[in-house]
Amino acid sequence: MSRRGVGLGAFANRTQATQSFATHGANLRSTHTASLQTQLSVFQSLLHTFALEHSSTIKSNPTFRAEFARMCNTIGVDPLAASNVKGKNGRRGLGEGGSFWTQIMGGDMNDFYFEVAVRVVELCRDTREENGGLIGVEECRKRVRKGKAIGSGLEVSEDDILRAVRSLEPLGSGFSIVHVGSKQYIRSIPKELNTDQATVLEVIQMLGFVSVSMLQLNLNWEKARAQTVIDDLLADGLVWLDAQGPEKEYWSPQNLLDDSG
Amino acid sequence: MVSTTAATAATTSFVFPSTYNFPPFFTPQPNSTTRHSQLQKWSSLIQSWCRHHRTYRLSLVDAVDSPLFHNTALRKRLALAEARAVVDWMTKKEEEGGGGQRAEWIEAGGNTAPKIVAWIWWRRPEEWADVLVDWVDATGQKGVVLTVFELLQGEATVSQEFHGMDNDVMMKSLNVLVKRGKASVFGNEGEEGVKFF
Repeated sequence: MSRRGVGLGAFANRTQATQSFATHGANLRSTHTASLQTQLSVFQSLLHTFALEHSSTIKSNPTFRAEFARMCNTIGVDPLAASNVKGKNGRRGLGEGGSFWTQIMGGDMNDFYFEVAVRVVELCRDTREENGGLIGVEECRKRVRKGKAIGSGLEVSEDDILRAVRSLEPLGSGFSIVHVGSKQYIRSIPKELNTDQATVLEVIQMLGFVSVSMLQLNLNWEKARAQTVIDDLLADGLVWLDAQGPEKEYWSPQNLLDDSG
Repeated sequence: MVSTTAATAATTSFVFPSTYNFPPFFTPQPNSTTRHSQLQKWSSLIQSWCRHHRTYRLSLVDAVDSPLFHNTALRKRLALAEARAVVDWMTKKEEEGGGGQRAEWIEAGGNTAPKIVAWIWWRRPEEWADVLVDWVDATGQKGVVLTVFELLQGEATVSQEFHGMDNDVMMKSLNVLVKRGKASVFGNEGEEGVKFF
């Protein structure tokens, strides 16, 4: 193939060769895509069968449910996506009506997430006064699991909570997930945390509380900067003040939640 | 009856909510929203504390040194003025931004400084009245004449929550029923009788 052509004919040859390479490439690509698509659809149908077979486990076991949902996400199936986004990612193979969950397991899987979402909204609203509209996903999970009345607890994983919060997005609810340090929070008041505020919250996560001098020492902040950030957090209700120590301490209300509230 | 009702020896120890171990709980919060949440938590703590100890009137002077307002483990305490602010909030109606009249200052005979002792209504007299009516209904004692002493100390009421309750609270509750036309109270002070309709 690499024999160098001689004379004028070589030019024509070269063009021809380039062309055939291109065609061949295109062929390969389309075969590849086709086979990938087949694989994907096979996988999707397997997933479908799998989901049907294990539907009861998916419903009852939060860890299993989370893993399953993760698997779905990996191959581009959003289990929660409702009918309004159908067919967006070539998901037509699974039918057009309702979400994936609805199709494979009847309405109750969606209902499950809506139920969780309702609990999350309730919890956020009930605790907004004490925590300024910022609640840890983990704390939220504990509370939803406990339930308000006897027997109303829901066995949920953090993944379920996150999924439920995301399912609220189309409603323009203003509920969002915020990362602070290693922790995830649900923000139910649409307000941005600036970098300094996030940093301080992260420090509180690690140390339990902060004071102005702690911030000065650990972050090399000037006093005014530390005080401003704390005052802002205080004004937003994100920290509580303890003035009975030698220096004012600021605590996060996240641990208050086990209260009967 | 100016002294506070002695807390009856509790059979089980009171379980404090997690708020009680949250140091800032003992400092009045500068943020008004947070403050509101704090007052609610204090109100519910005071009510459940009093309910647990069967306390009807709370003397703040005594209470500031009791575990209720003094967390020895954290070495935090609610100062007298602050405790008074909380109870004051409890006395106000919800419409006034208060705690729903879950407390009431006792203006005792003029010689005690005001806002020192308060009724803590973990159950308001109206609510006690309902409890009494339910009990009378359940035991078929409509039309029967009972003495107040029987109601408070009689064997028939041992299982009832109002057994052994503060005499004044009982009279207040009975008066609610009188106003509703559901009972009449007669007799001299200290030996009243009551008839339920």
